[in-house]
Amino acid sequence: METQKTKYLNPYIGGVLLGLVLLAANFVSGRGLGASGAIKSTIVSAVTTVAPAASEKSGFVKEFRESHQGNPMKTWLVFEMLGVIVGGFLSGAIAGRLKLKVEHSPKITSKKRIFLALIGGILFGFGSQLGRGCTSGSALSGMAVLSLGGFITMMAIFGTAYALAYFFRKNWI
Amino acid sequence: MKPRNLLALFIIPMGLIIAAVPQNKTKPYKLTAEQLLNEANTRTQYISPETVADMIVKNDPSLRLIDVRSQDEFEKFTLQGAINIPISDLLSDKYSDLLNQDIKMNIFFSNGTITANEAWMVTRQLGYKNNFVLEGGLNYWFDNILNPQKPASSSPDEEFAKYDFRKSTGMALGGGQSVQASQNQTAPASKPAVQAAPKKKKASGGC
Amino acid sequence: MGPLSVNEIISENTNLFLAFLIGIGFGFVLEQSGFSSSRKLAGVFYGYDAVVLKVFFTAAITAMLGLLFFSLFGWIDLNLVYVNPTYLTSAIIGGIIMGAGFIIGGYCPGTSFCGASIGKIDALVFIGGLFIGVLIFGLGYNMWEGMYLAKFLGSPKVSETLGLTDGVFACILIVVALAMFWVAEWAEQKFPREQY
Repeated sequence: METQKTKYLNPYIGGVLLGLVLLAANFVSGRGLGASGAIKSTIVSAVTTVAPAASEKSGFVKEFRESHQGNPMKTWLVFEMLGVIVGGFLSGAIAGRLKLKVEHSPKITSKKRIFLALIGGILFGFGSQLGRGCTSGSALSGMAVLSLGGFITMMAIFGTAYALAYFFRKNWI
Repeated sequence: MKPRNLLALFIIPMGLIIAAVPQNKTKPYKLTAEQLLNEANTRTQYISPETVADMIVKNDPSLRLIDVRSQDEFEKFTLQGAINIPISDLLSDKYSDLLNQDIKMNIFFSNGTITANEAWMVTRQLGYKNNFVLEGGLNYWFDNILNPQKPASSSPDEEFAKYDFRKSTGMALGGGQSVQASQNQTAPASKPAVQAAPKKKKASGGC
Repeated sequence: MGPLSVNEIISENTNLFLAFLIGIGFGFVLEQSGFSSSRKLAGVFYGYDAVVLKVFFTAAITAMLGLLFFSLFGWIDLNLVYVNPTYLTSAIIGGIIMGAGFIIGGYCPGTSFCGASIGKIDALVFIGGLFIGVLIFGLGYNMWEGMYLAKFLGSPKVSETLGLTDGVFACILIVVALAMFWVAEWAEQKFPREQY
């Protein structure tokens, strides 16, 4: 293997493996994969710790409580996301891709990339709550169980990204 | 071969197979044969007619009588407050919330106990709790609750106590002749507690 | 049989432990497929790298076929598997906002954790943004609660909505996905870029 440019897995093989992971998730727990749910759990638990009185009034916290009993951090998705960090790190270590860096197109500066990542993150975080799940939780897992909402969200995400791609092309190519 | 073609070679036949076979709509059994046999052997599903009569008289809110006979028979005669779920419709989706729940005691009854037992057995195998069978069925109910026979004078005291109880409840339920009920009723066998159904229903989702 | 935790075949803690293992598998596969690189992810929108499209649809189809076959063999009760509920308004608007976040930030939540785990600082910042975004949603929940709960359609399946059986719909989806893969590979050759 050359340094730095270790080859990635063939996307179709990666896809089949990812599908098997998703199948395992459904078989074990009756639900798909997710990511933003873990962030929601963290936010809910942080808010209830910092401002317990105010959080009681929040409809957001209430809505979360209705579907999750007990400690908000002791949920399936939180454990799953901890696994993702470990799994990603292992894979990066094996492939020799561990490196602290800001990845960006040569046409923009690191600072700009960081700024855009923050904006993108805020939008995605907000959108994932409104859409009840991100690309993994709503679109991918939803498609696997043929959920109508999953397909709609998937089309909305990719459709918008394609529609806006032209305006942000300098950031990527 | 290109990876894409290789993938296509696998998933297209699988897609065709899955499109061609009918969907699996069977409801899986949750109990093993041994578990069910054991429950049937210990006769835990039976509720005595005295208990049921007592619950009816007291308007016990947890009681739900389910007549599993045909609609015709149900319309001619049934127990007070009973609803009709003909056994042929037992697995219909519209009744699954009634049968799989943890609030009420469902008591199946038919003329004898055979049909009611069949209903109990099917629902029990699906893992539903809180479903029971009226012991003796409607026939026994007629003979012993609505028209109890006075026990022979040589019978033990408990027999008389039982008779008095049946007499009084039978009257309250509109049967028998007017005979003064005695005060010393024996308490009917205690009814089983309602058990919580498995809490889930579905895994909670959310990304 | 399945789902194991819903049928109480495994305990709650075992379930969480398996969640951790499944997460490791998830993170590993994402990273191996190149989802830890934002420029690779964004490539799908410019035609030079369709890895997202290929992995995403192959995974969805694999899992879907797996679930349908498992159900056919009686290994899993699909009635107990969570089907995401459909709230039409919020699914569309949420999706649009997420799409904008995707093209601007270059990641989605799962892949940003994956990128951060191998040291991508932009991924770490993206995660910071995610937290802020969720917090904003939580703080202003009352403002968009109406939109959040509007047009609730239950949890329908696409196949039901279209009046097809699950199997027939799956078959159609497979054909559509393969057609998209074919177009994507054509585009990759048409708009070649260096690998990242």
